[in-house]
Amino acid sequence: MKMPFQPRNPRDFIGTYRPRAADGREKASGRAEYLDDVALGIRFPGMLHAKILQSPHPHARIKRLDIAQAEKLPGVHAILTYDDPEVASLKPTSHAWTSVITTPYDRYTSVKYNDRRVLGDHFRYVGDKNGVVVAAESEEIAEEALKLLDIEWEVLPFTLSPEEAVAADAPVIHSEINPDGNLIPGDPRRPDDPTPIEDDPDTVKDVFLDKGDVEQALAQADVTMEVTTEHHRADHGCLDSMGCMIYWDDDKLICWTNSYQADQTRMMIATMLDIPLSKVRVICPYVGASMGRWNVGDQTFFIYTALLAKRTGRPVKFKHTRREDFHDTRLQITWSCKLGAETGGNITAGSFKGLSDTGAYAQHVAGILKFVPREVATRLLAPIPNLKMEGHGVYTNKLPGGMMRCTGNIQFNLVLGIAVDMLAEKLNVDPVELVAKNFGHEWGPVPNKDLEAVLREGARRIGWDSRHQPGAGPARDGHKRRGMGFSCHMGWHAEWEEELRGHSEAGVRVNPDLSVVLMAPTVETGPGSNNCSVLACAEALSFLGITPEDITWVSTVDTETGYKDCVQTDSAVSYLQAELMPEIARQVKDRILELAAVEFGATPDKLDVAHGSVFDKDTEQEMRIKDLLWKGDMVPILVTVSREPDRTPTGVPYEANFAEVEVDTETGRVEVLKLVIVNDCGTVMYPPGAEGQQIGGQCLGLGETLTEEIIYDEATGVPLNFNWIDYKIPTMADFPDVEPALMEVWRGSGEYGACGIGESVFTCTPAAIANAIYNATGVRVNQIPFKPERILKALGRI
Amino acid sequence: MESVKLKVNNTWYEFEVWVDIQPSDTLADLLKNRLGLTGLKVACDEGACGACTVLVDGVAILSCMMLAIAADGHEITTIEGLEPDDPVVEAFAEQCEPGYGTAMQCGYCTPGFVMTVKGLLNENPNPTLAEIKDGLSGNLCRCGCYPAIAQAALHAVEKMKGREEAKNENAIPTT
Repeated sequence: MKMPFQPRNPRDFIGTYRPRAADGREKASGRAEYLDDVALGIRFPGMLHAKILQSPHPHARIKRLDIAQAEKLPGVHAILTYDDPEVASLKPTSHAWTSVITTPYDRYTSVKYNDRRVLGDHFRYVGDKNGVVVAAESEEIAEEALKLLDIEWEVLPFTLSPEEAVAADAPVIHSEINPDGNLIPGDPRRPDDPTPIEDDPDTVKDVFLDKGDVEQALAQADVTMEVTTEHHRADHGCLDSMGCMIYWDDDKLICWTNSYQADQTRMMIATMLDIPLSKVRVICPYVGASMGRWNVGDQTFFIYTALLAKRTGRPVKFKHTRREDFHDTRLQITWSCKLGAETGGNITAGSFKGLSDTGAYAQHVAGILKFVPREVATRLLAPIPNLKMEGHGVYTNKLPGGMMRCTGNIQFNLVLGIAVDMLAEKLNVDPVELVAKNFGHEWGPVPNKDLEAVLREGARRIGWDSRHQPGAGPARDGHKRRGMGFSCHMGWHAEWEEELRGHSEAGVRVNPDLSVVLMAPTVETGPGSNNCSVLACAEALSFLGITPEDITWVSTVDTETGYKDCVQTDSAVSYLQAELMPEIARQVKDRILELAAVEFGATPDKLDVAHGSVFDKDTEQEMRIKDLLWKGDMVPILVTVSREPDRTPTGVPYEANFAEVEVDTETGRVEVLKLVIVNDCGTVMYPPGAEGQQIGGQCLGLGETLTEEIIYDEATGVPLNFNWIDYKIPTMADFPDVEPALMEVWRGSGEYGACGIGESVFTCTPAAIANAIYNATGVRVNQIPFKPERILKALGRI
Repeated sequence: MESVKLKVNNTWYEFEVWVDIQPSDTLADLLKNRLGLTGLKVACDEGACGACTVLVDGVAILSCMMLAIAADGHEITTIEGLEPDDPVVEAFAEQCEPGYGTAMQCGYCTPGFVMTVKGLLNENPNPTLAEIKDGLSGNLCRCGCYPAIAQAALHAVEKMKGREEAKNENAIPTT
C-alpha cells in the first residue's frame, strides 16, 4: 500500500480516493462508444468510406491527372479533385486556426499561416494528404481506386533539414508565404491586413522578448555557460486515430467526430462551407485520447468529407489508418541557451535562441516557439533581470510538427533544465538550491515558496541528499552507473486560461427522486475532468444528501442539444467546470426553498436545507427533499449557469520531476529506476485521476525521452517507421517505478482553487533524465531520444 | 469454404463467404461491422497494440490478425459476452488504490486489456506481478495506466479467489 495523498481541507467527495464515478463502469465493460463504434454500416446503412491520395514524393506537383479508370471501379461513388469548382473555391486554412476557444475564420487569436489548401495539387512531404479523395463502398475499394489514378508528377527538389532549407539554393516550399526562402516569417499578415494578433502581439517578432541588456550582463557575469539541446518529432500515438463521419439531412450537415472540440468544429465547418451555424451539428462521443493533437482541429478532412457526403447523398466516413495517423508531431526545436551568474549564485542573464524544423506546414509554430517561452519568461524566469529570447521556424519537406501535450514547454524545459544543472556545477552549488534561489517568484523580488515546496518534496522522495558528484558513483557489475537528476517548470496558469476561454457553461437537472443529471459538456479524451466535475457537483449539492454515484454525467457532446463545450486543452477543464458548481448549487437550493415555502406556509428565508431535508429554522419542522419533490408536479429542477472568466491574478503552480537512472556503459542502455513526479495542484479534485495523470503521462514522457523516434531515409525523404512495431511506445514491461506526489500549496482561484496538471506531469521528464545520465556517467547528452548509440558515442565507446 | 459457422458469446452464427463476409475479412471486421460488437477496438490493424483482443476458445487472440474464415467452428467471447459482475471488469472499474491512478483514462485500450487479463487468468489463475507485466506487455495504453492496470489484474485475482471461497463455504456438503 502506497501513502495516500492528504488533502489540505478534507471534504466529503473532492480529494477522496474513489472509483471513476462518471465513466469507470462504462469504459471497463466496453460500453463506452467511440467514433468507430457509431460510424458503422449497420448503424448508418449505405455509409461510404473516404480515402485520400498521399504523396509518394517529399516535394511534387500534379502536372496531369486522369481519374477515368478509378471512376470505373465498381463500388466507387465519387471522386473529388483539386480541379472541382467546389474545392477550388475554398479558402486556404492553417491547422492552427483552432485553439482553446471558438473563433471564426478571420480572427487571429494566435499567429496563423493559411498555408494549406483543402485539396491542393502541391505536395510537400511524403504522405502529404492532398489532391484527390475517393468515396467508395469499402476502404479497400477506395484504396484501389487511388491506385488507378493516372498521375503525372512534377517531382521537385526537396530539403529535409533547416540548415539546408535556409541555404540560398534551397527549393522554396511555400512561395505564397515566403517567395525568397524557407524561413517562416514572424508575421503572417499581409501588409494591408490590419487584423490584430490577439494572444500576444510580440509573438510575430523574431526577438520576441528582450529585457534589460543581456549581452552586457553576460559579459559582466562571473560565471557563464552555454548549451544546445535538440528535441525530435515525437508522435501523439493516440489509439483512436483522427476521423469523422458526415451526412446531410436536407440542407443540414451532421458530423460525428473524435475531435475534442465540438463548438469550434461547428464554427470551422460552417465558416469554410459558408453555411449558417444552425445548419451544422457536431456530435462528439468518447474519444480515444488526444494528447494535444486536436488543437489543430481545422483539419481539412472535415471539408472534403462533407463535400463527398453532399455529392453522394450518403454518410461518408473518413478515418486515418494507423500509418496515416502519423499526421503531425511534436514541433522539433533546437534550443541554444547562455546563462550568466554572479559567484554568489544570482543568475543575472539568460539568452535563448530557438530554431525549429517545422516541417511542411507552419501550424502553431509561433505559439510553441514563442508564446510558450514568453509565458515561462514572465513567470518562472521573472526574477532574471536580463533576458532575451529569439525564435525562427523553417519549412522543410517533412511531416509538420506542432501541437502536442506539453506543447512548447517540454522543448524549452530540456534546454533550461540542463542549463541550470550545468550552471550549478560551475558555481559549485546544488542545482535545487540554485533554482530555489533564482526562479519562480511571481510579483516581487523574493523567490516564491510554492516552487521551493515542490522542490523540497521531490528531493526528499528521491533521496537527493545521497546524490554523488557526476560520474563518481560506484560501478555495479563493473559497468553500470547510477545517477540522479531533476528539472522543474511552471504549470499552465489560470489567469491566461480564464482570459482566453470566454464563458463556461454547465447545468444540472435534479429529478424528483433526487437523482441528478449533470450537463457539463467536454469531450472526454481521458484526463478525467469529468470525474472532477462530478465530485465538485456532489460536493456543492451535498445538502441533497446525494453521493457522486447519484449523478449521471452526460458524455456525448452535441452542438444542437447541449451547452457550449469546455475544450479539453491546457488541462483547464477540471477547475473551469468545478467552479460553476457552487452557483448551480445556490440556484438549486433557492428553488427547493421556494417549493418548500409553499408546503410549509413560511417564507423561504425562514427555511434551510441540509442532509437531504428541508427544515424551518424556527419551528424545526422538517421534511425530506425527496418527499417534497415527489408531492409536486414531477418537473425536474433545471439550472443552467454561465460564468464569466475570473481575471484575478493568481500566480502559477509549479512542478518538478526527479529521476534516478542506471546507465549501462557497455551497451549504452538507460534504465529509469525511479521517477518522482511532483505537482502542486492548488486543490486536488480527484486523487486517483491526478495520480493517473502523473504516472500515465510518463508513457509519452519516457517514450519521447528514450525510445520513440520517427526515422527518415535522408536520401529520399521517406519516413521508415510509421507503425507501432518500429515506433516504440513504452509497454507495461518497459514502465519504471513512478511515484506520484500531489501537493496543495498554490493558493488557487475561486471556490475550489484547482488547476489542471495533465500537461505539467512530463514537461520535465526529458531534462530530469538528461541530468541523471550526466550524474551517473559524467558525460552530457543533449539530444533526445537518449538511445544507446548516443550514450555510447558520448562515452567515447563508439 | 462456402460458409463459416462460429459461436459468439454463446450464440451460433453462420455467414456465407463472398456474400455475408469476404475471405479477406478479419475476425475483428466480422465481430464489429457485422455483429455490432463494438467493445473491441481496432487501433493499429496490424497486431501491434492489443486493443482488439477477444477470446477464441478461452485464449486471448488479436482479432485483427485472425481471418474470419479461420474462426470457423470456434467459440468466441467478446467483452459483451462477459457476466455483468465479471471480476476483471469490476476490478478495472473500481481501481483507485492510492499511488497507482485509475486503470483507464480514455478507455480505448481497456476492453483489449480486460480480455487479455481474462485470457491470462484462464492460463494462470494465480499470476505474480511479474507474470502480469509480461502477459500484458503486448497491449498499448498511450494514457500510460500500466501500474493501475497491473493492480486491477491483481485485484481481479483476489475477487475470484474470494468468490470461490464464498462458493465453497455456501456449498452444501455432500456426504
